[in-house]
Amino acid sequence: MAEVRLVDIEKRYGGFLAVPKQSLTIHEGEFLVLLGPSGCGKTTTMRMIAGLEDITAGDILIAGARVNDKPPKDRDIAMVFQNYGLYPHMTVRQNIDYPLKLRGMNLADRKARVLETAAKVELDALLDRRPSELSGGQRQRVALARAIVRTPSIFLLDEPLSNLDAKLRVTMRAELKHLHHELGVTTVYVTHDQMEAMTLASRVAVMRDGRIVQLDTPKKIYAEPADLFVAGFIGSPSMNLIDGHISGGLFRADGVELPVDLADRDGVVLGIRPEELDITHDTGAAISGKLYALELTGESTLVTLRNGPSSVCARGHADFEAEIDSPCHLKPRTGARIHLFDRETGERLG
Amino acid sequence: MKRNLAYLGERALLVLISVVVLFPIGWMFLTAFKQPRDAYSLSLDFEPTFRNFVTVFSDPWNLGSMVMNSVIVATVTVAIAVPCATLAAYSFSRFRVKARKFMFFLILSTQFIPAVVIVLPFFLMFRQLDMLDTRLALIIVNLAIVTPFVIWMIKGFIDAIPTDSEEAAMIDGASRLRVIKDIVLPMAAPGIMTSSIFCFILTWNEFLFALILSRRDAVTLPVGLVSFRTERGDLWELMSAAGVMITVPIFIMALFIQKHFTRGMTAGAVK
Repeated sequence: MAEVRLVDIEKRYGGFLAVPKQSLTIHEGEFLVLLGPSGCGKTTTMRMIAGLEDITAGDILIAGARVNDKPPKDRDIAMVFQNYGLYPHMTVRQNIDYPLKLRGMNLADRKARVLETAAKVELDALLDRRPSELSGGQRQRVALARAIVRTPSIFLLDEPLSNLDAKLRVTMRAELKHLHHELGVTTVYVTHDQMEAMTLASRVAVMRDGRIVQLDTPKKIYAEPADLFVAGFIGSPSMNLIDGHISGGLFRADGVELPVDLADRDGVVLGIRPEELDITHDTGAAISGKLYALELTGESTLVTLRNGPSSVCARGHADFEAEIDSPCHLKPRTGARIHLFDRETGERLG
Repeated sequence: MKRNLAYLGERALLVLISVVVLFPIGWMFLTAFKQPRDAYSLSLDFEPTFRNFVTVFSDPWNLGSMVMNSVIVATVTVAIAVPCATLAAYSFSRFRVKARKFMFFLILSTQFIPAVVIVLPFFLMFRQLDMLDTRLALIIVNLAIVTPFVIWMIKGFIDAIPTDSEEAAMIDGASRLRVIKDIVLPMAAPGIMTSSIFCFILTWNEFLFALILSRRDAVTLPVGLVSFRTERGDLWELMSAAGVMITVPIFIMALFIQKHFTRGMTAGAVK
């Protein structure tokens, strides 16, 4: 276990600023997720920690020691790559054994450790196969076994589940969570999947254009998104974002009138999560429109209504049924969190 | 009907091309087993003999020393060119250094120079160094000819290897050289093997430089063939026997290349 500190790090590729100057501390034993859309700089940040990318400015400290000039092999890290990065000419056993062999561990210990690790990720029956003879999920587990076989100070996981099918992804997510609980190693995890971030992370760093726009616990990020980008990015289905203005203590948009505690102003975006809206028959409800779509997800039904350009989604009961284009009314639940953002800057207003 | 005709036409063309390509080679093999009196005969009815193969290895032809020269020159050239070219190819493939493309072009551009233009400077240089008619001189010249080609070829193979496995090895604790040894070389092995064989074939068949730079001691097989053009005329049966000696190793190598070309070592490395 080790603490990782990024101090004013910056990354440029020629004239292109990939990661602007920023700092981040990843605490000992923490599971930190770097979350953001493609090209936001999360993988670059991780590769800088790994030593696979040079940093243009700033310092990286692992366990208090500056590692800027240290090669990856001297940083005591293990990494799982998005595309696995297995050694195709080696068997599963040799793949898992390779990090131990490089560290000069004796053969008997290596054998025992490989068997123990393989058992942990249920690969013991496949040890003599080559990667080309394995399925995607099995290859992913080989990559994971190779990372955990020597218990490094830090785990770096670069979208390790992105190539797996949906079902396997859920299973492996639980495996990862359990492994982290079992090993307690500081983990940095890169993903663009907010569900992975929410379920795995101790803290999430939401990134956009190379910058960390919010760093907090998943719960806090979900409940109090720092800006419009985070509000729209976190949550599935995503938060309803309605463009309007405030006058007379009411947020107003087409078919929407909600009391808010903010002075009159234009250019306001109101955010409310679908699960905090109830379907009602009250024609004077805060949000009104015509039913646009019904999507049954199994445990609930997503109800989308439209009024002019505004589209609002609510999570209703699984049994909810209604005619498309029929009038539909929604009201915020008691205690529902209403978020207000500046349309221009995206900043949180309240 | 139209498709059948097209199919037949295609097959006929392929047979024709094969005959045109294979006929001289087949004829050479037949002539190698002919008596001198049958060498010019077009008849396939002749009494086969192995005497030509014995004759070319005895005085005054002494093909044995030429075989030895060819083997040594080609083997040493491959042994030096391939490791050097592999490291150079890896560097060109992986390191983003300044003027990388220009440097690569510069290396490749040496292939555009006609051999006949540089053969005289080489001749003068080796004469000055008292290295004419030595295997070392031929090895040096061949290295200059084949190394750029092998760099270019191996670079193509290394470019195709995903970098993820290399980076994983570096994180697992390997130095750059260890990564090359443990990861890159095994993954690029089919490509390196193919390049080595091409390198061997190029050197084995090299004629112009060997002709100009060797007299008696360092004569290689292709040059040795010329010696069968004598005042008594062209000794086709001996020339063919020597031709077979030159061709057979290349045939074997070609078979080897095919085997390696069809095999990939990168499967399973990434998704």
